[in-house]
Amino acid sequence: MNARRLIQLALLVAVLIYPFLTLESPVYQRLGALVLLAAIGASAWNIVGGYAGQVSVGHAVFFGIGAYSAVVAFVHADLPPIVGAPLGMLLSVGVAAVIGVPTLRLSGHYFSMATIAVGELVRVLSSTSDWLGGAQGLGGPAMPRTVFDLSFMSAMPYYYIFLAVLAFLLGMTWWIERGRMGFYLRAIKDSERAARSLGVSAGRYKLYAYMLSAAFTSLAGSLYLCMFGFIDPESGFGILLSVKMVVMAALGGAGQLFGPLVGALILVPVEELSNSLLGGEGAGITFVVYGAIIVIIARFLPAGLLSLFERRPTAEKPAVSTANPASGHAD
Amino acid sequence: MGMTLVQVVVSGLLLGAVYSLFSSGLTLIWGMMNVVNFAHGDFVMLGMYTAVVVWTALGGGPWASVPVAAILIATLGIVSYFLLVRHIMRGPMLAQILGTFGLALFLRYGALWIFGANFKTLPDDLVGHSFIVGGIRFEGARVLAGLVGLAVTLLLHFILTRTSVGSRMLAVSEDAVAAQLMGIRPQRMQALAWGLAGAATGIAGALIATFFYTSPTVGETLSIVAFVTVALGGFGSVLGALVAGLLIGVIESLSAFLIGPVYKDVIVYTVFVLVLWFRPQGLMGKA
Amino acid sequence: MVKIVHGAIRAGAALVALAIALPAFAQETVKIGAVYPLSGNSASTGNYAKMAFEMGADIINNGNPELAKIFPLAKGGGLPGLKGAKIQMVIADNQGTPAAGQNQTLRLITEEKVAALICCYQSGITLTASAVAERYGVPFLNAESVAANLTERGFKWFFRTTPVAADFAKAYSTFLKEQQAAGRKVDSIALVHENTEYGNSVSSVISDAFKKDGLNITMNVAYSANSTDVQPQVLQLKEKNPDVVIFVSYTSDAILYAKTMKEVNWKPAILIADDGGFNDPAFTKAMGSVTEGLISRSVFAPGKPGSVPAILDALYKKKTGGDGLDDVSARVLQGFFVVADAINRAGSTDPAKIRDALKATDLKPDQLVAGYDGVKFDDKGQNVLASTLVTQLRNSQYVSVWPKARATDPLVLPYKGW
Repeated sequence: MNARRLIQLALLVAVLIYPFLTLESPVYQRLGALVLLAAIGASAWNIVGGYAGQVSVGHAVFFGIGAYSAVVAFVHADLPPIVGAPLGMLLSVGVAAVIGVPTLRLSGHYFSMATIAVGELVRVLSSTSDWLGGAQGLGGPAMPRTVFDLSFMSAMPYYYIFLAVLAFLLGMTWWIERGRMGFYLRAIKDSERAARSLGVSAGRYKLYAYMLSAAFTSLAGSLYLCMFGFIDPESGFGILLSVKMVVMAALGGAGQLFGPLVGALILVPVEELSNSLLGGEGAGITFVVYGAIIVIIARFLPAGLLSLFERRPTAEKPAVSTANPASGHAD
Repeated sequence: MGMTLVQVVVSGLLLGAVYSLFSSGLTLIWGMMNVVNFAHGDFVMLGMYTAVVVWTALGGGPWASVPVAAILIATLGIVSYFLLVRHIMRGPMLAQILGTFGLALFLRYGALWIFGANFKTLPDDLVGHSFIVGGIRFEGARVLAGLVGLAVTLLLHFILTRTSVGSRMLAVSEDAVAAQLMGIRPQRMQALAWGLAGAATGIAGALIATFFYTSPTVGETLSIVAFVTVALGGFGSVLGALVAGLLIGVIESLSAFLIGPVYKDVIVYTVFVLVLWFRPQGLMGKA
Repeated sequence: MVKIVHGAIRAGAALVALAIALPAFAQETVKIGAVYPLSGNSASTGNYAKMAFEMGADIINNGNPELAKIFPLAKGGGLPGLKGAKIQMVIADNQGTPAAGQNQTLRLITEEKVAALICCYQSGITLTASAVAERYGVPFLNAESVAANLTERGFKWFFRTTPVAADFAKAYSTFLKEQQAAGRKVDSIALVHENTEYGNSVSSVISDAFKKDGLNITMNVAYSANSTDVQPQVLQLKEKNPDVVIFVSYTSDAILYAKTMKEVNWKPAILIADDGGFNDPAFTKAMGSVTEGLISRSVFAPGKPGSVPAILDALYKKKTGGDGLDDVSARVLQGFFVVADAINRAGSTDPAKIRDALKATDLKPDQLVAGYDGVKFDDKGQNVLASTLVTQLRNSQYVSVWPKARATDPLVLPYKGW
């Protein structure tokens, strides 16, 4: 066994036994689950935002659909919330098609801005719907009725559920990355025009990536609802949620398999621990620290933390080469 | 009804002029460098606090706070360029979101730390009272902000299209490498763009503070409007931002009055998505 | 390989040890946890609440001779029932999100080992945070969330001191009926509310109550609290010219409405503003001069010199540098005193004993900082004696004008404005 293998194995073991290492501290145990949940959302975003290079800043739409589907299954049909998860995923795929067909034609920042607008649109509409609990939001089961409500006191069951979902998602992403679709997505990201001229049906593959990404973001939303038991328009469809998915993936390394996980591993503990240590002072020092860390990483590793391990440092590129707004974006 | 409707349109136009004012800085750097500044709303917020501080510490009205804010936020823009933006431009487009979002949080909560969470307002009559022309009421502070907004937008447009500095800046935005070969220093032009954008944004903030509340999180409210305005107008088109701002202001006012204020955002976003459907480059952007 | 795994385990164990070691020294203090919005959009309110907690703990730990005459816990030297144990407030930030609220509640319970929790201002966050406390069996007191469903969940550890939205609606409706009987026009009523949780829930309860009482809401306007311009809505009001306008707003929009109504030069004969932003000290300071005679509700009125509210108001002004107690900070402070009183009577930090003491709470009005008829919980944990006062803005200060028995000043109508 070489050193690289050893480190990988050690990491794997650490991930698998983490909840037992933190048995005595429910807060750290829960922190593990929160990291994994954030990693699921950011990894789902990564499929379309990272691999296909279509920077959606409105993915909260799908997160919210997932969370609301789960809570609606409980409130309106008296079912365990998790039953709503597959419905939410289906609905999200449908909504992704409806949003994606007009917006994926847009290039670069226009796509990002259109997704922000759609996200805000959905948020405002959801807060006017009484069926969805309006602005007050909806709560899941106050106390678990059966184990199927997935409402646990300990974070350990969540940890392993999230870990299984994340492993499946990353496995699937890895499979896609290796296959033809991964090749097409990278081609589209590098230059959509070139991809088209090679006969890649860019529009179709972007849409596939978008729909797949939507389905898993929705699943993250349903899982969130099971864990927290409450959803309202701001925590389901808020723009901050969309931005956080982007930031997490970009911080670790967008378009890389483990990028979003690395991002979540840094940002979630920083946010939680700085809030625990500094939040009680008031004055928002938590976010000053959080913001400063993001700025510093962006300043020194603009391509994300994983670029540290790449053979060719990105800093060799001249500062002005990306200054041309038309390059690689024109549709 | 008729007169009230005219009043609503007028208030929408004034609101729209303010929107274009605080969007012009964003569109400038967006067009120049293809950089989205997620901290833009927070630059506006700092301009607003400048006005509040100038008033509470020195008793100065907008005549004092506008130049101070212009200089301060221009400096902030240039410093941000050299310390952060210059470097993140080497990375992928996502690095901009990462870096400027981090900057946004830093500035927003830095302001919370320094100024506290309380809402601040400037005295009502700082810019004089409202006046009535032909049965339509004009609010002094908004008229001033609207007029300055128009002037700043037109001035920026003039600088970009009619001066040699402007054509050098545009050359850098068209093709930085070619511009460099022509003896233009791209970084200097880009820093200048951040300075100009910062100055416009600072002016906007100082003027908005005269009729709007100031709080650390106010930038969040304003930045989404700014994004939509800029994208609707077309990236980099200063005149586009002006037209889009006025359009959004009037749509917001009319839909709030005729349909209901909750739906005004719904209508603005719907119009926005529809416009992009037919004109993917925005109203006045280059195809 | 083995080494690395060992290292990982050791690092984990160190973290655990650190987590356990932290609360170990806490023997002579009683910790009370509070999870409030110290950042985010409600940061202003949260920071006022924080100062109220700090002041409350200071009074019990260090005493206040003036207050001690009427209020036994203010003698100083901590809680007599626990041999003079001092109170330590552990305040955490819920960042205005249910997720952070729940995470911080868990931390206060499991790491800080708080004896009781006071939480969380926003109803949605109270809902999620109280579920954690319920599972861990820690007494949880809510002092200001008004959503009705909070006490309908069959929770055994949940207590609420504040009146709920229905109580406010009832107060407004009775108040307006009295004005009608006195010959004022209340034929057309406009209800203008912001469209997040607070505005939507309160306004829907008001509409229901008014419908039942035969009061006619002719206009119902929802708007988003982060509006940049409210002129269209005010122009709409001006055109319809209702007799009564009721606002349910946050601070930022309250400021905009007050400014714009003066700009447009229109005012109704009766202007009611449901607490919220209109009671924020930032609002009264900035806009008080143009909203003279504004009617609001509050549980707080300073009252006569020498009374509990008056003394605490003066202390709070010293603490904040000028801002007196208002509706929210008074309810927060009241919640704190109820918890402190229960822990003192329990004579222990055992959660079950504190819960039993809370259940047995019976405070009389003259010992309260909030204008309730007393504090006494029913089986669901709701304070059955919670009530509200109707107040009116006079020279940028709210004074109590209704009900008559509790009024310190006469009601002045019509609304004067500027």
